[in-house]
Amino acid sequence: MAEFSPGLEGVVAAETAVSEVDGANGRLIYRGGYLIEDIAPVASFEEVAYLLWHGELPNEKELDELHQRMGTARSLNKSAAGALMAMDASIDPMDVLRTVVSAQGATKSLTKPSLEEAIALTTVFPTIVGASYRRRQGKDPVEPRKDLGHAANLLWMMEGKEPDPQKVRWVDAYLVLLADHGLNASTFAARVVASTGSDLTSCVVGAISALKGPAHGGATFAARTMLDKIGSADNAERWLTEAHQRHERFSGFGHRVYRTYDPRAKILREMAKSAAPELHRTGALTEGVALKILHDAHPERPNATNVDFWASVVLTGAGIPKDLFTCLFATSRVAGWTAHVLEALSDLRIIRPASRWTGPEPGRKPLQLAKR
Amino acid sequence: MSTNNSGSTYVPGLEGIIGAQTRISHVDGANGRLIYQGYVIADLAQEMSFEEVAFLLWRGHLPNRAELDDVSSELASNRELTQAANIALDALPVDTDPMDVLRSVVSAQGVEHRLARPTAPLAIHATASFPTILAKFYRRQLGLEPIQPRRDLGHAANYLWMMNGKEAAPEIVRALNTYLVLLADHGMNASTFTARVIASTESDLISCLVGAIGALKGPAHGGAPSAVIEQLEQIKTAENAEPWMRDARKRGVRFMGFGHRVYRVYDPRAQILKEMCQRMNPKFFALASAVEETALTILHEEHPERPQSTNVEFYSAGVLQAIGLAKEYFTPTFASARVAGWSAHVLEQAAHNRIIRPQSEYIGPEPRKPVPLAERG
Repeated sequence: MAEFSPGLEGVVAAETAVSEVDGANGRLIYRGGYLIEDIAPVASFEEVAYLLWHGELPNEKELDELHQRMGTARSLNKSAAGALMAMDASIDPMDVLRTVVSAQGATKSLTKPSLEEAIALTTVFPTIVGASYRRRQGKDPVEPRKDLGHAANLLWMMEGKEPDPQKVRWVDAYLVLLADHGLNASTFAARVVASTGSDLTSCVVGAISALKGPAHGGATFAARTMLDKIGSADNAERWLTEAHQRHERFSGFGHRVYRTYDPRAKILREMAKSAAPELHRTGALTEGVALKILHDAHPERPNATNVDFWASVVLTGAGIPKDLFTCLFATSRVAGWTAHVLEALSDLRIIRPASRWTGPEPGRKPLQLAKR
Repeated sequence: MSTNNSGSTYVPGLEGIIGAQTRISHVDGANGRLIYQGYVIADLAQEMSFEEVAFLLWRGHLPNRAELDDVSSELASNRELTQAANIALDALPVDTDPMDVLRSVVSAQGVEHRLARPTAPLAIHATASFPTILAKFYRRQLGLEPIQPRRDLGHAANYLWMMNGKEAAPEIVRALNTYLVLLADHGMNASTFTARVIASTESDLISCLVGAIGALKGPAHGGAPSAVIEQLEQIKTAENAEPWMRDARKRGVRFMGFGHRVYRVYDPRAQILKEMCQRMNPKFFALASAVEETALTILHEEHPERPQSTNVEFYSAGVLQAIGLAKEYFTPTFASARVAGWSAHVLEQAAHNRIIRPQSEYIGPEPRKPVPLAERG
């Protein structure tokens, strides 16, 4: 039998046209063949979601229609509202998201994943994240607004006041940049669930569950936490040197796929200058020192800054508290998850790998309870 | 088959690709053996309680008396739902698919304030809660008050107690127990693999289980046992099996309860369930065995090279029916068995972790520039 490659590293588990991470050349390609640095400056999250679902950018009429549909689909149903209110305000927001999305998508009988459902699920994430945030603040939820775009409505539902256009721009850019990224662990989880013929909500709930892990979506939180510990730019060198001596990992650095600077990190680093100037200064110094330490320790590794590092700075500038970072990631990536599930439908084959048995020689006889 | 830009080959469904190393269970398809921690399923199914087998999967050895008492009492004392889970359950419409109920309420039951690493006690608590969720919702559907769990009953007996509000006959309890033991684990199936993918990101145990429930729901995995009953209902009589099934084949209808990627001989679980079904549900068995014979004949005519392939779902439908479960609860009951295996795999993955992040092969167009919104056709 074949060799075991831990983490399925190097194993091709799907064919996809939704996105491609060309790690060797530092390129992220979105569906239709667009490079992330070309699409990010010109497209909103809604346009990118449309692109991932349909394979083409929308024209003005198509984009208007999508805005309309999303605008009228932002409310939670009774099951989801009930599940949301059932949970303490202090519950991890990712657990709230997992549970409320599951309840929102509960149905009477099995439904085949559809574009309508993909739009509906994507639309409802900011409502859940906003309500969960306000509960943590001890504030009543605010109703979603039809007249706002996806990013603006998210900030509206969090803050309950007219969102600052700059912040909307940063959140929207973040949502565009994180919307898909090849066959990462959460997207793969969604595709495995889809491969059994299950429904779209089950796929998305599985993906949220995978994104929650610190080794995946939790990394943005970890990067911001490290910057908090460093505190200020002039403390960066001392803190990082000591952390390295303690064999602590630097959060926000390293990626299995990219061999050059992550193109999303590059865009976010530039944006961070205006979004959070002070934190950008600390971040830039931290980055310089961290890369030098990592290079000295392992000159053979391409220890590049990853997207989480600079995303944590931009989201901070947009007024997002760090305990919501993973939820924001999910709010973006749900567009990609659903696009992958819809794509997988055209050729469903159950994903059921083999395993290698490492246990005792089969066939031993169980002892009676009294003799154990 | 094709290769991506780093020279790796795409294998649809990851068939034959090793997704994990495990010592929890092993499907020896060539010899028709299912192994739990070194024990052949046939040696466990008749004598062991679900509690003993769950312990075996979690801990790697069969419990002695003291260990069995501990795990049984830990299971029995963690059957109550949290307030969050109760409210979430009551908020769902009564006609909700019980698998969606299970997915949502397990998620609510497992919410936490901060990320916890998967542990054996958390596996026990989660396993304990599945029957309570299902029984409570089942009774709500019938317009009946929920029945409180009983600590003096074992896992299988308590499930039936909470469903029916009366103690089930010993042979019924034994049958459900055997079913739960038989279905508790099965190598790297799609739901278990989902749980391990989620665990590989260092996420929490409940997240892994919720993902696994979502995968088990799919008809190609756990979602088909009720379809077996529905097909038998259409066939109606043993005499009608041959004409109905030959006609169905012409219409491209799949036979429910047949086909398996792994076994090359008769599935050992199906063998045990078949005998139980014959004893417990003779009416079902009379029809089902005629349908099985016809199905295997037709399938063999079509593909003589393929092995005979009655799968575990076919006769489990008859056994679960005899136990008195509504067919909508077949797949959720499967989940109540498999949660032992899922959680054991999560513990194993967490102990030897590497994030599961395979590659994909890009089949889209070459890079090109976006057209501004106003200029798009």
